[in-house]
This record gives sequence, C-alpha cells and structure tokens, in this order.
Amino acid sequence: MGARHDNSLFKSYLKKEGLLDEVFDNTGEAKAIYQELFRLYGAHSISDYVHLNNKAKNSFFNQGITFQVYGENEAKEKIFPFDLFPRIIDSSEWEIIESGSIQRSKALNLFLWDIYHEKRIIKDNVVPLDLLSSSSNYLHQMMGVDPPNGIYNHISGIDIVKHSDGNYYVLEDNIRCPSGVSYVVCNRTALKRALFGVFNHYQAHTVTDYAENLLDILESVKPKGVDNPTCVVITPGMFNSAYYEHSYLAKAMGVELVEGQDLFVENDFVYMKTINGPERVDVIYRRIDDLFIDPLEFKPDSALGVPGLFAAYRKGNVCLANAPGTGVADDKAIYTYMPQIIKYYLNEEPILNNVQTYHCSRPDELNFVLENIDKLVIKPVDEAGGYGISIGNQLTKSEIKAVQNQIKENPRKYVAQPILSLSVHPTYIDKKESFEQRHIDLRTFTLLGKDKEFVLKGGLTRVALKEGNLVVNSSQGGGSKDTWVLKK
Amino acid sequence: MLSRVANNLFWMGRYIERSEHIARYLNVNYFSSLDAPNEKSQSRQFVLKSMLFMLGEPSEDHTVLNEEKVLFNIGLNTDSYFSIINNVKAARENANSARDLISTEIYEAINKFYHFILNYDKEVFVKKGLYDFTVNVIEQCMILRGKIRATLLHDQVYAIIMMGINIERATQIIRIINAKYHDATVAKGSYGDTVANSFEWITLLKCAEAYDMMRRFYKKTPTSISTLEFLVLNGDCPRSVMNSLNQICDHINVLDRSKHPAKDSTAFLVGKLRAEFQFKKVEEIEEDIQRFIEQILQKLFGISQKMEEEFFKF
Amino acid sequence: MPLKYSLVYKAENTYQAPITRAFWQFLILPEANETQELIQWHFTNDLDETSGLSINGLGFSVIRVHSRKKISKISFTAKFMLVKKEVNPFNFIIDDTPYEKHEALQSIDFRAEHEVYLRKTVFTSLPKQYIGIYSFDQSISIFENLKFLNSWVFEHLYFQSGVTDVYTDLEQIIENRHGVCQDFTHLFCAICREHGIPVRYVSGYLHQGNGYFGDSQMHAWAEAHVPEIGWVGFDPTNNILASSNHIKVAHGKDYQDCAPIKGVVYGTGTNETNYSVEVYASQQ
Repeated sequence: MGARHDNSLFKSYLKKEGLLDEVFDNTGEAKAIYQELFRLYGAHSISDYVHLNNKAKNSFFNQGITFQVYGENEAKEKIFPFDLFPRIIDSSEWEIIESGSIQRSKALNLFLWDIYHEKRIIKDNVVPLDLLSSSSNYLHQMMGVDPPNGIYNHISGIDIVKHSDGNYYVLEDNIRCPSGVSYVVCNRTALKRALFGVFNHYQAHTVTDYAENLLDILESVKPKGVDNPTCVVITPGMFNSAYYEHSYLAKAMGVELVEGQDLFVENDFVYMKTINGPERVDVIYRRIDDLFIDPLEFKPDSALGVPGLFAAYRKGNVCLANAPGTGVADDKAIYTYMPQIIKYYLNEEPILNNVQTYHCSRPDELNFVLENIDKLVIKPVDEAGGYGISIGNQLTKSEIKAVQNQIKENPRKYVAQPILSLSVHPTYIDKKESFEQRHIDLRTFTLLGKDKEFVLKGGLTRVALKEGNLVVNSSQGGGSKDTWVLKK
Repeated sequence: MLSRVANNLFWMGRYIERSEHIARYLNVNYFSSLDAPNEKSQSRQFVLKSMLFMLGEPSEDHTVLNEEKVLFNIGLNTDSYFSIINNVKAARENANSARDLISTEIYEAINKFYHFILNYDKEVFVKKGLYDFTVNVIEQCMILRGKIRATLLHDQVYAIIMMGINIERATQIIRIINAKYHDATVAKGSYGDTVANSFEWITLLKCAEAYDMMRRFYKKTPTSISTLEFLVLNGDCPRSVMNSLNQICDHINVLDRSKHPAKDSTAFLVGKLRAEFQFKKVEEIEEDIQRFIEQILQKLFGISQKMEEEFFKF
Repeated sequence: MPLKYSLVYKAENTYQAPITRAFWQFLILPEANETQELIQWHFTNDLDETSGLSINGLGFSVIRVHSRKKISKISFTAKFMLVKKEVNPFNFIIDDTPYEKHEALQSIDFRAEHEVYLRKTVFTSLPKQYIGIYSFDQSISIFENLKFLNSWVFEHLYFQSGVTDVYTDLEQIIENRHGVCQDFTHLFCAICREHGIPVRYVSGYLHQGNGYFGDSQMHAWAEAHVPEIGWVGFDPTNNILASSNHIKVAHGKDYQDCAPIKGVVYGTGTNETNYSVEVYASQQ
C-alpha cells in the first residue's frame, strides 16, 4: 500500500501487472520526478479538482478550440478531451528523443531526395523498388525536381511510445501534414490557467517558441533571388477539423492564412489577392494534401487548390512545405526499412528503435502473420489517423477470419507488428471521479530547414481514454496531456 | 490583408452592430410602451408591428400578431433571416474565417457571445427573458467593440472592421428613424398628438441611447425637428449619422491613402456624402423625411457596394 | 530533305450554363527535339482572354488561359510552323541479342531508372484474364518483338472513332476490339510493361498525307525503351515506326498525362468540347 491510497483523487487507481506506469513504481510509490507533482495534486479534494477540470474545459470551449460532431439535427461542438495531469520527461531521456527525431527526419529527407533523383538506395538493393512503384504517393511529377535547399520534409511528426521494457520505440513517421502542435500550446495554456502553482516546482521548457522556429524554417527555404520572403499558411477552410491549428499557426507566425481561392498564379509566380492588389507569395506552408494542391495537375475537381501552383513550384518560384510527394516516405512499409535507411545515408546506428515489422508482401512473413494474428497489430500501409488498424488480441474468431481474408486479398496493403505494451499514465476519468491508468504515446514535432533543425521541447502526449485501448488518435476518441520536458 | 478576409471582417463588424440595434429596439420599444402616455403607444400590437416594421417586415393594419411568435422570430428563430441569433452566428462565422487576424480576446468574446445565445432557453426568452436577453446582447456587443478598439493594431484590419460597424450604425439609425417616424404618424391619427410632439421621439432617442445626451444638449422636450437634428446632423452625438460618417471618413483614409481619391473610389463617395451632411439643414430633412430616408439608405448601400468592388473582389 | 509543316489546332468549348471563371491548359505545342524545330506559333481565342506559357507536371510546355468573364462559349485557335528532319526509323545498329538473353531488363539499375514508365496505370494494366494475351518470342531481339507486337495490335483492333472515349478501359477495348489511336497505344503500352519494357505514351500530330489512320484529332503512339538503343517510336494504329510524319508534343505514362486540353471551370452544368487538327506539309 503506498501513499496513493491516502489520496481521494486516486481512490480507484489500480496498478495492473505487466504495464509500465510512468508515475508510480512497483511498490506504488510515486517516482522521484513525480513526487512533488503527486503531492500537489493530492492536496485537492475531488470537488476542487472537478471545478478546475471544468474551468479548463470551458477555457478550450470559449477559445473555440473545438471540432464538430454531426448529430441527428444539428452539428454540435466538442472540445478535444484534455487531461490536467501532465507528463514529465527528464532531460536525459529527452536528449534521446530529440536526437533520434532529428536523425530520422534527416534520413527521411535524404531518402526522399534520393528516390526522386538517382535512386541509389534502390540500386544498392537496400529498399525494394516495389515499395515505391506500388505507392500512390510516389509522384512521378517530382522526379528530378529540386526543392529549394533540398528540403522535402520541413515538418515531421514522429510518433513514439515507451514500451514496458523502458525503451522508446517509433511507431510511425508522419511527413505529409502532421497536426497537433497547436494542442501542445493550448494544453500548456490550459494547465497554466488552472494550476499555475505547479509550475513553481518544476522547470519546464516553453512550448510557445514553435511558431517562430517554424517561420525561420520556412524563410530559410525561400526561392532563389528573394530577400524578404512572404510566407503563408494554406488551409482547406474553416470546416476542416484542423482549422483551429491552421489559424493558430498563421497568427502565431504573423502571416496570412489563405484558402485556395485567395491565391492565383500568373507567369508561374504565385500571388495572393489583397485589398491593395496582388502580392507575391514565396513560401507556402500547405495543410492540404498533395492531390488537392493543383487541379490542373492532380485531382481536377479539387476546389481547394490553386490552378498552376505545381508549375510555379517546379520552376522554383515558390516553395511548398512539405514538398509534394513526401507521402511516399511515411508509408508504413517504408517505415520498416528506417534502420537501414538511417544507416545508408548517415552511416549511424538508429537512436530510436523501430518496432519489428512483418511485411505481408513477403510470402514467409505473410504466413507467420496469418497464423499469429491474435498476437499482432495489423495496419494498412497507406492510412493515417489510426484508421483500419486491427489489434489481434481484441478480435473474435470470426473477426480474425475476416482480417485474414482482407490480408490475403491484398498482402501489399498490410504490415503487422507485435502488440506493444504502451506505457500508462494517470488520467482523470470523469465517470469514476478518480485517476486511472491509461495508455499514452508521444508525437514530437521536428523542423528541418537550411542548416537548421529544431525539435519542439514537449510534443503532444496522446491518451487512449478507453480502458485498455492502445489507439490514441484523436479521430479514435483519444485525449491529450501537457508534456513537460525538464531543463537540465 | 486578403480581400476575402477583409470582406469577412467588414461583415463581422456589420453583424455585431446590427445585433445590438435590433436588441435595443426590442428592449426600448417594449418597455417604454408599458407606461406610455397614450393608449396607442401602449398597445402591444402597435409595438410588435413597429418591431417588424423596423426589420423590414411590415404587417397589414388588421393583422393580429402573436407576441411570443414575434419575439421568437426576431430573437432566436434560426429560420428568420433577420433574427438576432442569425446575426450573431454570421458575425462568428466571419470571425472564424479571419481568426488569424483578430485578437484572441475578440475571438473568445464573440465565441462566448454566440454560445450564450445558442444556449438561451427559447421558452424563457419569449415568456420572461426579453429584458435579460436584450440587455445581455447589448452588453456583449459593447464589450466586443471595446475589445476591437483595445486589442487590435489600429491598421487596415481595424479600419475595415470600423468601416463595417459605422456603415451599419448609420444604416440602423436611419431605419430606426424611419420606423419611429412611421409610428408617430400612426399614433397621431388616433390620439391627437401632433407628429412634431409625439411621444415616439423620446422612444426613438432611447433606441439610439441618446435621450439623456439630447436632454443635456437642448434642455427641452424632444420634437421631431430637434430629434432629427440631433440624431442625423450632430457630430458630437456618438450615434448620429454625422458621427458615423466622420468615422467612416477617417477609416477609409487608412485604406485609401491617395490625396485626391479617384472619382469612382469609395473614399470619394464617402467624402462627398460627408460634405453634403456637413452643410445640410434639418429643415430640408423634415420637409420630406421619407425621401431623405430613401436617399441616405441608397447612398450608404452605394458605399458598401463600392467597397466590395474596390477591396473585396477576389 | 527537311519537311515543313503547318498545323492548325482548333477547340471550341460550349457550356450548358454560363461559367463565371475558368482555367484551360493546352498541351499542344510541338516539343523541340533533335528531329523537329518549331519556327513560329500563334495562339488566340475569340474572347481575347489573356494566355501565357507554362509547363505541365512533367516539364512539357503548355499554354494556359484564364477567364473571369461570364461566358457560355469560347474557341481557341493555334497555328504552328514546324520543320521536321527526315527521320530514318532504322538509324541505329540493330542489337540482335534475343529477348531471353537480356539481363538488362531484369537488372535493378535498369528497372529503377525506368520505374515511371514501367509503372502500370489504370489504362495500361492488362486485366487478369488477358495477362497472357500476347507473348514475346524469346529467341528474337527485343526490337523485333516490339515490331511484331506493333503489327499484332494493329491487326487485333479495328480503327473506329466514336465507340470509345477517354474513360474506356483496356478490358472493354480488348473485348470489343475496336477503338482509336489512344486505345491502340494503351494496349501496346500495357503489353510492353507486362514484359518489363519501359514504354511511354506519346501524343502529337500525324501527317495523314499517306492515308494513315487518324481522325483529324491529335494522334497517339508509343515510345519503347530498347536496351542499348534507347527510345524508339511505334505507331500501332498504323503498324509503322514513328517517322517524319509524326510530330511529337509530349509523353507520359498514359493518355491522362498527355490530355491536350484540361479545364478547371467554376459553374454548374455540363460542357462540350469540339476540336480539330489540320496538318499540311510542303517540301522545303
């Protein structure tokens, strides 16, 4: 029996065997780094805490940091669930995460350059050609195109988990339009508003410097011959679920938030329509997918994009971040080659572990997967947001059969990984009026520019709110926590 | 600033201002009728008809209106285009699409305002909430204007919003004058009050929150001529048309910095209209109020349209 | 002796309901290459909308037109003057290594280099049941095989305009056995790719003076990459190699990369495009 049970907020906190609890050790005592925090939270009665929690929720609601849920009659606005108990990462562990994130981003960038130019890695038989040619995100329009300063993935979101063996593993690299960074800032703001006192006891790094670093990165990849580049953020519009983030980033960088209809291309230069007439645009942080950026080149019925934008990009008159065609490298099948990719380009050992992955496209591994579905997580290679994932030990017999058939139908579409035991963190559960263990992961945000790299010291800790659930994506009902990286 | 966003900010300003005037019109007319000096002005039907008239939805003389229905339609019915809820909703949508340009404070205030209205109990509103609801709307609008003034750089963004607010204010004041002039005419027919000395002029001044100022300035009971002079031509009265025109003039100069604005520009139209008002005599207005109202509304509309052509086209 | 060509391309777009804004992109300019040189060109439209030169996603020149008027009809006319060198389709040393001996096709270097034009697209994938529709002769060279394939496609399909359109897939074409140049070319490309030979779809103009098939529209043929030789043009619609009668505009994986006109139109309702091509030749 530890101190935990003297604390009414933790009354139904059950520590399950075999799970890595980031806060409490095996005897039930709070770990050194969390002791103070645990004491501070413990000083609250349940009703105090509920009050604070509601205040934090209201602050999100009033700021309009919401998403729409479409019900029977009308759309309702909901906030993304947020948990007030922060996650702490000490400086030595953070160093691993930070250097590992940079290493991966750089390797991915070199990989992208290579596969859109000489394809050395393919010719040297390190990565199979089939993975590229079967990927719909491998854009032949990008073949031989040199993005400004050779940067493809200016912004990468790397999803990392802590396994029960105590090591960090990368789950996936998101280098299309990774989102979530605005929630890092909002979570910090909400926690400060509700419980500012706790910050007196810890020295956490700030998270509000992301936007200025992003602007630096964007300005560093300006087209040739431009001195003071004009940067903009392009959004699909206010009905997009990440619109808040788009507007936050534009505002925090002090640049315009544009929609496709605000831009036009003339003589292969891009302009925005302002009240003082056309103004040239040099760098576009685009939050719309590859296939929607230019209806003349890609999806012809896309109303989100700008006709002629791709030609302007090809001619080097505008920079797009991330570059078109980066999606090929966040394919989950490419992920499995990350250790080899890092070694090949950087001649370094990977700092962050990869999860052992089985390719259903390889006959022997396919057989292993089909026979061991109950012990594996099955993922489609080309989906994002946690869609299409099957977790073997949660499937019924007939569901396993169905998954087997799906895989047999299109083996290239699936990879499988052992079921990882994600670490758990105390999370307040409204219904129980108590903290309980919930699985968490961490999305880091890495920026890559000309001679510059940056990892946001914090990242987004996502929580799977359903008991025992391992999928943390917000589209799957996940919440998030403020994440403190402690100063040395 | 993007043309699309400028358009949104302009309309955000207009919708905020419009909500406030509708709310105050409901409030003032309803509550001053309760103890009005003559029977006509006290009549509930008369008040409800006046409200609808002001919103551009006049009803026939013999129609009998249902109070709860009328209040619901004006306040919270999302199916009636002129309702306060729709105006606030539109203001928020416009704010949403310009979210990166307005301050967090403004956005938060507008968002709270919207949720306040969205969650207002419809039953309570039509039965006993009129005062509480309208006062809240008025207050929120004032808070918003305060935040617009205090939390934004006074640059083009601010100028666009203020253009919207002031064009709308002038328009609403004229519409209110129109409605109360109409009421005064109707009230006169049955009760011997002359139009010139009608009780409705006091209500009119209250609708523009200008009654106390007016008393202080003239120290006399308002008449048609002094009321018109005060609400249209007195530049010191914060809600007069003249005051709005002065502000519109200041703000258009932030947007269009040319010393001699082109003949077909917004700045030119604004300058011309202001000059006209600067040297207008109230007697000219009173001679044919109806004609005056039509003309000024036409001109304000023309300015708004010119702005669209000049700044918002995209 | 070089040939001098003059070409006229005309397109007319009509919209059922007037449109308020539109972009059009024309991929119709003959490319500059070793065998052809564009000496003069001229592009107009009857509404006087501005047009400009740009490139498509693969770097070929395109003409772009932008309109912000309310319109229900617009016509475009392009005129080109071009000098084409006499092309001898056999101006290379025939490499007679039999197909089966060609390890190059299997090498990762070769496959990686030509990945784009080995990629099977919707229009250039043989339906499962037709994978074996044509087999290469292992004992003769790749070039000979391609010549036979060219003849086979020519004989297998009947030229008939109006029965297929830009959406017709390969399965229907193989089953119904008729189509126009783009269908012939897609079938040729699909079989090449099935056999590991990089091949690209080419669009351009054909001088029909000698009674070749075509239908006063843009023509299509294929360029296959033969190891040791390079890209060689095959015109399966006419069972010939591309020659001085073929004026190339662009290439791509299939028709979609080479569509002569693309439009992004803001409005409701349907539209119709009519276009025609005239090619005149005179000895220089």
